[in-house]
Amino acid sequence: MPRRDDIKKILIIGSGPIVIGQACEFDYSGTQACKVLMEDGYEVVLVNSNPATIMTDPAMATRTYVEPITAAVVERIIEEERPDALLPNMGGQTGLNCAVELAENGVLERYGVEMIGCDLKAIQKGEDRKLFAEAMERIGLEVARSGYAHSVADAEELADELGFPLVLRPSFTLGGAGGGIAYGMDELRDIVREGLELSPAGEVLVEESIIGWKEYEMEVMRDRCGNGIIVCSIENFDAMGVHTGDSITVAPAQTLTDVEYQSMRDASLAILEEIGVACGGSNVQFAVNPRDGRLIVIEMNPRVSRSSALASKATGFPIAKMAAKLAVGYTLDEIVNDITRATPACFEPSIDYVVVKIPRFAFEKFAGSDATLSTRMKAVGEIMAIGRTFEEALGKALRSLENGRSGLGRDGHDEFDETHFRSLVSTPTEHRIYYMAEALRRGMSAEELASLSLVDPWFIDRLADMVEVEGMFDGRALADIDARLMRLGKRYGLSDVQIAQLTGSTESQVRARRKELGVIGVFKTVDTCAGEFASQTSYYYKTYEDESEVRPCDRPKAMIIGAGPNRIGQGIEFDYCCVQASYTLSAMGYETIMVNCNPETVSTDYDTSDRLYFEPITYEDVMDIIDAEAPDGVVVTLGGQTPLKLAAALASEGVHIMGTQPAAIDLAEDRDRFSALLDELGISYPVAGVAESLDDALAVAERIGYPLLVRPSYVLGGRGMVIAYDEQYLERYMARAARVTPDHPVYLDAFLESATECDVDALCDGEEVYIGAILEHIEEAGIHSGDSACCTPPFSFSDAVLETLVDYTTKLALAVQTRGLVNIQFAVKDGKVYVIEVNPRASRTVPFVSKATGVPLAQYAARIMAGEKIASFNLPARHEDMGYYACKEAVMPFGRFPGAETMLGPEMKSTGEVMGIARDFPSAYAKTQLAIDYSLPKNGKVFISVCDREKRNIVPIAHALQDLGFSIVSTGGTGRLLRANGLDVEITRKMQETRPNIGDMIANGEISLLVNIPFGQETRGDSYHLRSAAVRHGICYVTTLAGANALAQAISAVRDGRLSPVALQDL
Amino acid sequence: MSLHNGTPAVLMLEDGTVFEGSACASTGEAFGEIVFNTSMSGYQEILSDPSYAGQIITMTYPHIGNYGVNDADAQSRGCFCRGLVVRDMCDVPSNFRATASLPDYLKQHGIVAIEGIDTRRLVRHVREHGAMKAVISTDVDGLATLQARLDASPSIVGVNLAEQVSCTEPYELPALEGEARRKVVALDCGIKTGILDGLRAHGCDVTVVPWNTSLADILALNPDGIFLSNGPGDPQAVAPAYELARRLVGKLPVFGICLGHQMLSIAAGADIVKLKYGHHGGNQPVMNLRTGAVEITAQNHGFGQVFESIGPLVPELSGGLAEHPDSLLYWSENRIAPVVESREFGRIQLTHVNLNDGTPEGMAFLDHPVFSVQYHPEADPGPHDSSYLFEAFSRLMDGRDDYLDIEVRANRDRAVGRERA
Repeated sequence: MPRRDDIKKILIIGSGPIVIGQACEFDYSGTQACKVLMEDGYEVVLVNSNPATIMTDPAMATRTYVEPITAAVVERIIEEERPDALLPNMGGQTGLNCAVELAENGVLERYGVEMIGCDLKAIQKGEDRKLFAEAMERIGLEVARSGYAHSVADAEELADELGFPLVLRPSFTLGGAGGGIAYGMDELRDIVREGLELSPAGEVLVEESIIGWKEYEMEVMRDRCGNGIIVCSIENFDAMGVHTGDSITVAPAQTLTDVEYQSMRDASLAILEEIGVACGGSNVQFAVNPRDGRLIVIEMNPRVSRSSALASKATGFPIAKMAAKLAVGYTLDEIVNDITRATPACFEPSIDYVVVKIPRFAFEKFAGSDATLSTRMKAVGEIMAIGRTFEEALGKALRSLENGRSGLGRDGHDEFDETHFRSLVSTPTEHRIYYMAEALRRGMSAEELASLSLVDPWFIDRLADMVEVEGMFDGRALADIDARLMRLGKRYGLSDVQIAQLTGSTESQVRARRKELGVIGVFKTVDTCAGEFASQTSYYYKTYEDESEVRPCDRPKAMIIGAGPNRIGQGIEFDYCCVQASYTLSAMGYETIMVNCNPETVSTDYDTSDRLYFEPITYEDVMDIIDAEAPDGVVVTLGGQTPLKLAAALASEGVHIMGTQPAAIDLAEDRDRFSALLDELGISYPVAGVAESLDDALAVAERIGYPLLVRPSYVLGGRGMVIAYDEQYLERYMARAARVTPDHPVYLDAFLESATECDVDALCDGEEVYIGAILEHIEEAGIHSGDSACCTPPFSFSDAVLETLVDYTTKLALAVQTRGLVNIQFAVKDGKVYVIEVNPRASRTVPFVSKATGVPLAQYAARIMAGEKIASFNLPARHEDMGYYACKEAVMPFGRFPGAETMLGPEMKSTGEVMGIARDFPSAYAKTQLAIDYSLPKNGKVFISVCDREKRNIVPIAHALQDLGFSIVSTGGTGRLLRANGLDVEITRKMQETRPNIGDMIANGEISLLVNIPFGQETRGDSYHLRSAAVRHGICYVTTLAGANALAQAISAVRDGRLSPVALQDL
Repeated sequence: MSLHNGTPAVLMLEDGTVFEGSACASTGEAFGEIVFNTSMSGYQEILSDPSYAGQIITMTYPHIGNYGVNDADAQSRGCFCRGLVVRDMCDVPSNFRATASLPDYLKQHGIVAIEGIDTRRLVRHVREHGAMKAVISTDVDGLATLQARLDASPSIVGVNLAEQVSCTEPYELPALEGEARRKVVALDCGIKTGILDGLRAHGCDVTVVPWNTSLADILALNPDGIFLSNGPGDPQAVAPAYELARRLVGKLPVFGICLGHQMLSIAAGADIVKLKYGHHGGNQPVMNLRTGAVEITAQNHGFGQVFESIGPLVPELSGGLAEHPDSLLYWSENRIAPVVESREFGRIQLTHVNLNDGTPEGMAFLDHPVFSVQYHPEADPGPHDSSYLFEAFSRLMDGRDDYLDIEVRANRDRAVGRERA
């Protein structure tokens, strides 16, 4: 059946900001869908509040709305655009929920919008556990025994019936938020109470435990004629009990006989039939009892997912792209396999390699939260590695994580908690894999390890082999390693760094020795068909075998090094920059080569660049690709810190770095040289000092004065950065700061209290500087720029300040010899401009700026790197009155980490961002708040508690809130102040005082907004508990004065109905 | 992979290409035709499939042996292939059904196997240069003499391998559940257990007879239908069997799979060609031209029918076309099941086409109760999409004209139900 001609305009809803459980895999999926539908001649209307995405690039859709994903907003867009159809299953749970709401409240019907791919009934059947369980029973499949609790008492009753342990899952939450495993009544009550609050349906599923069973996923596609295929099977390394997003997973399934695999396949296809998925991709999860093979269906998702992105990268079969084509009427046999370009897409990929995915965590950012992995997803990103064997793939995966490790231990970074060693072997945590390997090294038998960890013995045996091979190197001199052993080591996943550690040599010595021995990696193709047919796509991975498949090419080659796993401080923004550069360089005639290991991204889509190397971003792996490809230039300044760290090493190997040179990057990072440069240019910066010990630090403090911004050297995203207001705090910090040594000093900067910060993103070609945008931060200085809201054009700076910002930016960009993008952070205090730092590379805000101004900075940066001049671009003159304001706000993951401190500070904690565009700042800011919380408090009680320092400044805000109709609740001090200023205040008791107190009011849902502005970083005080309670109960809260002010204005804007959707194409 | 005691071994191809590895089952020397199979699971079923007689099997998936072997999954009484080539052999299986490791199973059956091979390079070589003779040997020092021995080894073309794998005496198997509704005689050219199970699950009492059983002996059993089995090698070398097939047409309902399909093809006057590197795997898309549905099929054949050679098109039954189009994919693209006029048996319809390469995959005689498919509806290993063909055979024996018009989808629910039962 050919494509449908009765629909012309299709609405796609994205997944919004990057949050835990919903990351850039939906940018990948949505971008594919937009691209393929546009190519096919459809008009695409896109809604997504996330400006960092590639899909929201104005070229990707006909109409692009960077707007909150709420039914109300999307309805207005539907009213405006009148699409014929809605493709609901590209935007994760957020997109799906929004589509369901639009269907249920009659909007789709009212405007004649057809839901394609998957109808409401199918979504409900797949999502609602009751309906799903009934459906499974109809086709003779088992689900775990379970029941629903709508109260804690319900749950207790079910526990009596089902027995412990029990798995608890709140209905309709993202990535299993609010779920957990209860081993006893107390734990059950805690989790259920929290789950009931988080579940939009006020419902928690209480289910028999199948912890320890093997867990599998099947990625399934179906077309509207009923043709069904399995794209990929995935087996989890971690047994049931760990959320699949937090599990190490492996493709294809390893320990199933064909009989078992085929019955899972039959079940998967039957489930799609029964649920009524008309066409598209779905994901079905199973648990298998390792003792008797009993098969249980866990769940199915009638949409693209994290796993479908992984499966697409793992097989070369682009699920989202196919799903979009199926939704407009094609059948699987009518679509050509992208990779072979000769055979149809109606087949099941056969792979001749092993894929390992490992999640990336960020627990270090959330001190106080529980780092045990369970059914609630906590990973912030993931990496994937491909090898010809599991061992090789695992070794690569473990060096892709950007966590300082270079393999399965013995890499110079092993550190084991001896006291809890055994329990850390059995408890799933992000570090367990290292404990498992170490247990084998210490002589634990494979059987014992399997029974402790519940990991399948097949995987344990592979780990044992890896440890054994590693042992063959241990204590030998590098010169004694022969070609046979070297090759064996590489085939078992050992990195050069590990071999260096084991042989007492260096990585570069190992590399030299390896080459001398002729042990050189070859590159194989991911081709969907295990080599059965010729492939037309250059999607490669490295292995140690005989034959390399890299194609020759006579065009100049440009290699772009990507950003690695998403983590806090480095996310999708950098993928956006890399992808933009790839498109641009390709258009300029380069053969583009992408290197990255993050399966969620657009950059690792095989059709983004001419060649894709799915490889770890380490010196070893990148140099191996450079040896094979001999690129004419390498781009390292668009992928964040990951590629930047390699720049100097690559340059010293004679690799041509495109754009800004490593020396310039060093200059900007070397505090002494950089200060000297600023002095020379006559540019101000906060007074600073370096300390190698506590005494040093106290001396510096004496000289500069408090408050001080204190941080360890060379950190990403402000790790370990604090503001010290007094000596006592500084002493405590220095005592805690691990390893303060001459090699790892601590930096102390004068902290410009209540200064306004701003970012400037600019382009520089060595002769000319183009200012992309000036971004005024909303939160005052001291909040990490990644966590601060910001706005462009700036609205509170004087012309003199703006001129100075432009002047400083121009001088600095030229002085550090930037060739490409540069980001400069400034603080403005009392009309004076200070430089905080210069980053001669792409910044986090580049995609936001590009969307706000319509000038695609990353594309121009790529052209500068390829030698073009700014003068030739005919860029529009930047002006501060664009006629609208664009606001960016950070999205925090605190809901996932109960117990963690939620206050904003100099250490970045946000996972993603949203954007709002409107005629005025309050409306733009309101859109960002709606985009995050999906609603804003309109009335009710606001609880205000403010530290002494800010007491006077809160008064006007309190008045504004009262005028908006909020009634004010406060405790002692703040209450007295507000009453004195003519406000009506209800006084309550503090969290730790006699009950009932503010804690009870929050728990009882009496408070709709919380304004809590604490002083410094007290971590376990009253306000900590206050904010934790707000997070737990999902109450809108704000912790800075500027934030409170902006929020009050935003609420006012929402009430006046000033928010109308804006398409980027109209700006 | 064994990290310690691997005996060095080589795989040498007819064209002199050598791959070095180590022995991972029996040691010694094994000659055969090199083929590759792209199934990611089901190695035991493949190794025990008699159709691999005379061949050295390369598994494209790198880890083989992960779940060991068990008694239930074997497809015949033994292993008839000559050798096995893998990237990585697993010694210690992990699966609750495993009764032995794969290396032990192979040793028990005297199969020579080699591991540590760049199997992807091997596959690409075979893809480019076609199937060829090969040898696995643990005698790694005399490559020149090995080449001579390889050159002297027999080719698979023109050899009757069916007689090596067929049963020698008839035997009977009862229907699996309920009352037997029909009696089927299965001609054993190397029949797989999965096929017998498929027939028995559809209410057939099956009498399995040797490959060279005479028509008279078969008819004396008074069956409701005849099944022509799969089997190894060159169909043209099994003259008595295709002669028998020719004489069966019109006498009784006949269903053929794989070699059985080729027998019927020869009987119908079709040319048979050797494919460059054959179809061996579990992911081949086949369209049922009568319903337009696509089945993901298990396949294992090195020879194939030339559909056009059966006879001229019957335009009124072939979308108006009088001349054969360049590719059979024309029919799948247009959802037409074309009909040709055969020299001896009237009209024959092309019922199934392979969507990867447009090779014919199935036919139905319109004027006689006969149909056959080139691929393996019993799977084992592979997807169950095509198991409806056993139901089709039942319908054929019931005399129904619509016997092939069964929805793959409807069949799926039954497949789930059957496994759960």
